[in-house]
Amino acid sequence: MKKAEPLSESYYYILLCLAKGKNHGYGIMQMTETLSKGEVTIGSGTMYGATGNMMKKGWIQEILSDEPGVERKRLYQLTDAGREALEVETKRLKRMIANAEEVYHGTV
Amino acid sequence: MAQYKTSHTFYSAWNYEKEIEDLNAQSEQGWQLVKGGCFFSRFEKNPNVRYCYQMDFGRIENMGRYIEMFREQGWEYINSTFNGWHYFRKPYDETLPESAYEIFTDRESLQEMRERWARIAFGITVALGLFAILSLIRLILRPHLPALVQTLTLATECGLVFFGSSTMRNPDVSHNRKGDSHVLGACLAVILIGAIAGIALTELRPYFHTMQSWSDSDLSTSAAPKDWLPFQVRYPDNYFLDLKIEAQEPLTFEILDKDNHVAYTITDKDFTGEDIRLRLPSGGYRLHLSDYGAGPVKIEVTLN
Repeated sequence: MKKAEPLSESYYYILLCLAKGKNHGYGIMQMTETLSKGEVTIGSGTMYGATGNMMKKGWIQEILSDEPGVERKRLYQLTDAGREALEVETKRLKRMIANAEEVYHGTV
Repeated sequence: MAQYKTSHTFYSAWNYEKEIEDLNAQSEQGWQLVKGGCFFSRFEKNPNVRYCYQMDFGRIENMGRYIEMFREQGWEYINSTFNGWHYFRKPYDETLPESAYEIFTDRESLQEMRERWARIAFGITVALGLFAILSLIRLILRPHLPALVQTLTLATECGLVFFGSSTMRNPDVSHNRKGDSHVLGACLAVILIGAIAGIALTELRPYFHTMQSWSDSDLSTSAAPKDWLPFQVRYPDNYFLDLKIEAQEPLTFEILDKDNHVAYTITDKDFTGEDIRLRLPSGGYRLHLSDYGAGPVKIEVTLN
């Protein structure tokens, strides 16, 4: 199996912010800032490029909101492939953190 | 009444950050961009607001999605240029963190944008390089001034676009280089002067194609040498002659200058020559026919 490329921070947070349900671009940006306590921000250019690329990869898809008041607003949601990519990356990050703990705390 | 001004400041793409800085400075002075462009930008006077500007480059697949994504974060779309730069602005608020005025918030996406431009520029570099090589081959086969000017101009264009492409791709390597703007200015001057000089030198060359024939009786009634088609050479250079002589008996074809010095001569009755190189000083010339015998004569001359 081909080894998955590590995700950039922006890609990872976008996928993460969609894990519990669909969201719009601004919502993803706000949630990212909240989660990272302001350490990670996703600007419009980065967001447009990342969502565009991930739609091409088939990780997320665009749907139009049908909520009253914000009809036709673009929302994004994870696909199965996107959920898989998020899980693979999360596992990789967990492994790295676990390895770091081992090294720092002398179990290796 | 609204007051407008147009700025003609030229920014190279790899200095787009400088353009953003200048737009922000203009805004602080009350001049708000209403239309950004490569060669001219339009500003409106409004001292009551202050904006921060950003630029993005690339072909946008879904303009609606694109503009919405920027609008969600408070960016107002201004316009796009024909070659794919997009201008945005956001009202300046000093309580917001600096990151609120960035549109690329990670290295990867900024580099992707730079790559998009650099890739196109590299494609153009290759095309210009091929043209320069073709031009050089032509120069070697037919050495003359317009071809030399064209080759040098193409080589300069190729070098400049390549420089732009690599600077855009590796901004850190070339960021601190001083004197970039002088190099850019000099290259642009060479390209502009080269383009104009190339056209002017081509236009100033004598270019003609003539076919003359004399029947037997034409030649016998007037045995005097035939002169025809006076032309001017405006600058010394290599000029190229195509000549075709068809006659019953040998004759002498010459190109003479004002003082009857022979620039070119041939005596033959049946001759075809192409791209005969003549080194002509500037001055007036004419075609001249002498020593002909009986019979019809046909001469075809092309000079370039």
